[in-house]
Amino acid sequence: MALSASVNPERYRTARAFCLTSAVWFGAAASFGMIGAGYLIAPDFMANIGFIHFGKTRPVHVNLVLFGFVTPGLLAAAFYYVPRLLRTDLYSEKLGVFTAVLWNITLPAAVISLGMGYTQGREYAELPWLVDILIAILFALVVFNIIMTIRQRREKILYVSVWYVSAAVVLTGLTYSLGNVIWQPSTGALLGIPDAILLWFYGHNVFGLLLTPMGLAVAYYVIPRATRSPLYSHTLSLIGFWSLIVVYTHIGTHHLLQVPVPTYLKTIAIVDSVAMVIPVMVVLINLWYTVKGKLGEIHADIGAKFVFTGTIYYFFVNIQGSMMSLPIVQRVTHFNNWVVGHAHIGVLGFAGMTALGGIYYILPKITGKPLYSKFLADLQYWLILIGITGFAIVLTIVGLIQGQAWINGETIYRVLPEIHPYYVSRAMLGVIILAGAYIGIYNVIRSLYFNSGETS
Amino acid sequence: MRMTPVTILVGVLAILAAVVFVMVFWPYTHRDMTPSEIYRTRSPGEESGRVIYIQNGCVYCHSQSIRTIDWGPGAERIAQAGDYVGDKPILLGSQRTGVDLSQEGGEHPDDWHIAHFIKPRYTRPNSIMPPFRWLGMQKIKTLTQYIQSLGYKQADHRMQRQRYWKQESIKAYEAGPEYNVKWLAEQVPAGWRNIPNPYPTTPAGMQRGRKNYQDFCIGCHGPIGDGMGPAQPWIYPPPLNFTILKGRQISGGIIYYQIMNGITGTAMPYFKRELESQKIWEVGDYVAVFFINQSDANADPRGIDAAWEP
Repeated sequence: MALSASVNPERYRTARAFCLTSAVWFGAAASFGMIGAGYLIAPDFMANIGFIHFGKTRPVHVNLVLFGFVTPGLLAAAFYYVPRLLRTDLYSEKLGVFTAVLWNITLPAAVISLGMGYTQGREYAELPWLVDILIAILFALVVFNIIMTIRQRREKILYVSVWYVSAAVVLTGLTYSLGNVIWQPSTGALLGIPDAILLWFYGHNVFGLLLTPMGLAVAYYVIPRATRSPLYSHTLSLIGFWSLIVVYTHIGTHHLLQVPVPTYLKTIAIVDSVAMVIPVMVVLINLWYTVKGKLGEIHADIGAKFVFTGTIYYFFVNIQGSMMSLPIVQRVTHFNNWVVGHAHIGVLGFAGMTALGGIYYILPKITGKPLYSKFLADLQYWLILIGITGFAIVLTIVGLIQGQAWINGETIYRVLPEIHPYYVSRAMLGVIILAGAYIGIYNVIRSLYFNSGETS
Repeated sequence: MRMTPVTILVGVLAILAAVVFVMVFWPYTHRDMTPSEIYRTRSPGEESGRVIYIQNGCVYCHSQSIRTIDWGPGAERIAQAGDYVGDKPILLGSQRTGVDLSQEGGEHPDDWHIAHFIKPRYTRPNSIMPPFRWLGMQKIKTLTQYIQSLGYKQADHRMQRQRYWKQESIKAYEAGPEYNVKWLAEQVPAGWRNIPNPYPTTPAGMQRGRKNYQDFCIGCHGPIGDGMGPAQPWIYPPPLNFTILKGRQISGGIIYYQIMNGITGTAMPYFKRELESQKIWEVGDYVAVFFINQSDANADPRGIDAAWEP
């Protein structure tokens, strides 16, 4: 295969930069998560270090996972497949690399400000105004680069992945600014109950309009390519895309079912949360039928293996999510570790797995050499798969213990000792995930810069 | 359907605009900002405490959102939209690793909170909250001010009660052990004072009592019941030294009642939410047997023998 001949070192610099960004910040984000898990077992272990105590570590972990690991990982793939699918070059590699550099300035700024207590105090919208502005600029730069690439395309038809990724960056730029109340620099918040409504509209759309469409875009690219089969159905692609944008945007209020917000908002949120079955199953039927009879090819390509596993977790997280939106279920699951498990299934199991898959799928193509180590990539796959599956099981059990105990009148203090062993096993699984993240950093850096392997 | 760039962009933006209108803008313009009957504005000190609360991510473990199905502290009042009209940002929280704080104001006196912030396990041995000693005493006090305002007017009412009984209990403590013990016993309704512990002293009961003592009491009263637990230096009046109670007519009923209801004004919380009846009797008997060295367990008057008794 004359791959190397087609790889000009100037091409795909943006994609490379984002691969590296994602890999490194995955390690950082997982480390912060690990510290948090440690606090839940032994709160005095790292006592009185203000910068990293639990209340700081947790938002740093969440923001780094979302904006340091998963988003850049999914963007790395996008900066490869968007030009490929449009039969052109990226509009500006310079701008792309600049975006990546600015991204890596923004993330430490986020860590430092949260560590120092500069926070808006709103989950998923913690980052202070200056960092918000940086992130809005970053999304604007990505939007500009992608739109201009689309404008200079030599392929008339836009493939599904291009729909998803352009919608994702445009809509997230807007909802991020809206959700962070960017016109109110001092507080970044509204007053009273409307603040909660806006916050969860935005908070849920981090998944609905950013991670999910960008993850699906990668899946729509990698799965047909790796299996060398045409996409199963154009009609299903259309239904899946439009129904995702319509349905997902409605459901944020399901975080507020037990809070005094207007009933019609809750009703819409519940109905649409259940209706999420449509965009999810339509996409999965489309992707899984594309793979039909060709699982061997998925298995043979480590990138596709990550991505395909991501689609399976996409199924789980959404079926679970629809269930959790039912008030009778939420009476047990709300406020406890069940939700933490759900978030990890979605963000690591689906979006994170898919981002890693995207990175490993494009790395040989953007470097012109095979991966530095397929073995390490495979090892990372298994470590993360075992880690996230364990998380799903352990945190769901903890959630059921807490939820059932509370609903029967046990107090928090009575339940805490009961869940301690589960926190311990969660931290042990965290070590496995952390090991996977560090192996990934090594493998990605070696593949990008110190790869002595033969050019393929 | 032809998916052109214009179709995609116009389509998704139109959908987003429509959804934002229905799910965010409409509820915002139709918001009801009528304060609820408990609402009052926060003092500047309480506002500064709230800033510390936000800066340190307290919201990740503590909700401020009481639901219809709750039992724990604050559950007597279901949250209303009017309770939040002064909150910017709103701090509902999404997890309850710790307790809900909607009505925390006045649940404990200030010294309990300060000991708790220095090291949460001083006052709550089972707590997994990280210590906040590093904040410094100034910030801990400001934060406590905010915590004591949670629940607004209801918190003020409880705080008034805390202050009154704090004075009373300090007076009693400073009058010496003899008077203090007498005063404490007199606060218990007469009926309770005459009730012996209805459970017999058994090794299993002692074992259970010991476990609950360690889970709930040891931080203040200490491992040998002399009131010299690690919280002691932070608390005034200091935790009771059980070893002074011998020969002072302390019945099982008195101990039970004080554990169940707590002693408002002092750092002694009530345990009726945490511990069911048998657990309180057994903790009481553990204290009586091991620390007071004088137990009335299963003594007369006993009534008709309970079915399970040997």
